[in-house]
Amino acid sequence: MSPKAIQYKANSIIYFKGDINEKVYILKSGKVNLVSNDIETGQEIHDMIQTGEFFGVRSALGKYPREENAVVLQDSHVIMFTLGEFEQLVLKNTRIIMKMLKVFSNQLRRTHKQVQNLITTDEQAVNPEAGLFKIGEYYLKSNRFAQALYALRMYLTYYPSGKYAQDVTRYINMAESKAQNIPMSNASAAVQASSSGEKPLSDSAKDYYNGVSLFSQQKYSEALKVFQKIIQQAQDEEYIAKALFEIGRCHFTLNNYDQCIKQYTSLIQKYPKHPDLMDALYYVGNSYDKKGEKERAGSFYKKILAMAPADSAAGRKAKKALKELEG
Amino acid sequence: MALDLAIFERFAKIFQQNDIIFCEFEPGDTFYLIQSGTVEIVKIMGDIEKTIDILYPGEIFGEMAILEGAPRSATAIAREKVKALEFTRENFEILMMGNPQIAFKLLKLFTKRIYDQKRRFMILTLDDIQARVADVFLMLSETQPQQDPSENERTFKASIDDIAHWAGMSPDKCNEIMNHFASQRRIEIQKDKIIVKNINDFARFVNSKRKH
Repeated sequence: MSPKAIQYKANSIIYFKGDINEKVYILKSGKVNLVSNDIETGQEIHDMIQTGEFFGVRSALGKYPREENAVVLQDSHVIMFTLGEFEQLVLKNTRIIMKMLKVFSNQLRRTHKQVQNLITTDEQAVNPEAGLFKIGEYYLKSNRFAQALYALRMYLTYYPSGKYAQDVTRYINMAESKAQNIPMSNASAAVQASSSGEKPLSDSAKDYYNGVSLFSQQKYSEALKVFQKIIQQAQDEEYIAKALFEIGRCHFTLNNYDQCIKQYTSLIQKYPKHPDLMDALYYVGNSYDKKGEKERAGSFYKKILAMAPADSAAGRKAKKALKELEG
Repeated sequence: MALDLAIFERFAKIFQQNDIIFCEFEPGDTFYLIQSGTVEIVKIMGDIEKTIDILYPGEIFGEMAILEGAPRSATAIAREKVKALEFTRENFEILMMGNPQIAFKLLKLFTKRIYDQKRRFMILTLDDIQARVADVFLMLSETQPQQDPSENERTFKASIDDIAHWAGMSPDKCNEIMNHFASQRRIEIQKDKIIVKNINDFARFVNSKRKH
């Protein structure tokens, strides 16, 4: 067996949504369009396959039903692989796998975010801070001190001035003293957990998580100060970029719209590829909106729409804002 | 799997028995490939620690770390001495380029995760809560190795807590709906399993409640 070359006439279908088959395809020539429905709006999405591009990979690899119709628009020449043949081909060509990993991880991020957006509006969403605290408490009650200490110390690392910080400190003392009174094997596990459990986190990272925690407690001015400290100390490039973004968010929430605009304008210039770029543009648009400068606000929303996929969170938000703006 | 991992030794980490490798809700940006030993994945639900999975050498865990800084969705504990390769954003490319098999495995894992998340989304967007519970069974049925397709009855080794988690509702609420289904003889709740009498009936029910 080897990969098969197949000719398709215009208007034929290579596979239907719902089909189960484990074939992967490459488009050699012609035009193939993948037609699916957006999971949020039900809107039809068209993805034109480029010559040389694989398609059908995700459902074949994941062994689940096809999620789209593969429609031939012009007479096309396609090569069909079985899963085994596809695996052989890409294993010799790690670059292809790496490229696909990037595409898939972006898709995963996007769907994950969509799900999170739904859950956070749900009452029973657990916030990570309370969750970490409860886990520490659970293990302490079950007399599993090594595990309790890990979770509790992790809490203090990320939320040093969090809501439960005092209880956590008390629990740590309890767990430490109890861990010493139990047989050697468990006690040594506790000590090991304490030494291997603490990952070296830079000061900037600690400040950052502290700031995020303060922000979530609606202590915006305090959060702002913490983020500004990260910038002043200028130690950890990754967290400087993150803090710059958060500062803008603080200004916005504190109704300092001019400062918010200024903050994000400089961020966009400095980090044109910042992961939160779309949100930054959105905040700028929103700030102009609040200041009553509708036209300028609109131009920022339009910018987002031109850059972000229409079905992305940013795209949808911008579309909605634009609609409201136009009344 | 014949992998030449010797050169990647410097990325290996050792965990002692009972060590927590990472804890649920902790922000994470690393993931692991087990080289030796076994790892237990647990979640604390209510007042019980539930084992979700036990993983063996050659398996990957924590891969959702690609969602930068997102909190871990479960806790990983070493069941014995564990040696694992630790992947970070920095060493990711080196490790992957040198190990196409691992990269391919990860690719498969991602396809599964994307599907799971999408499916979860479909469930959560149902306004009708009975339909949400029914849709969880449809999802479970889709991912179970195909039983006789002409047979409409399906058996699931799932608890009410599991169903509640997927349906995004409290176990109490979920319990109420399940009892309602049971009284209609659409399902049968047993100690360690739930039997859906007619999966197609659930499929029709869910489709009638979906807006598009």
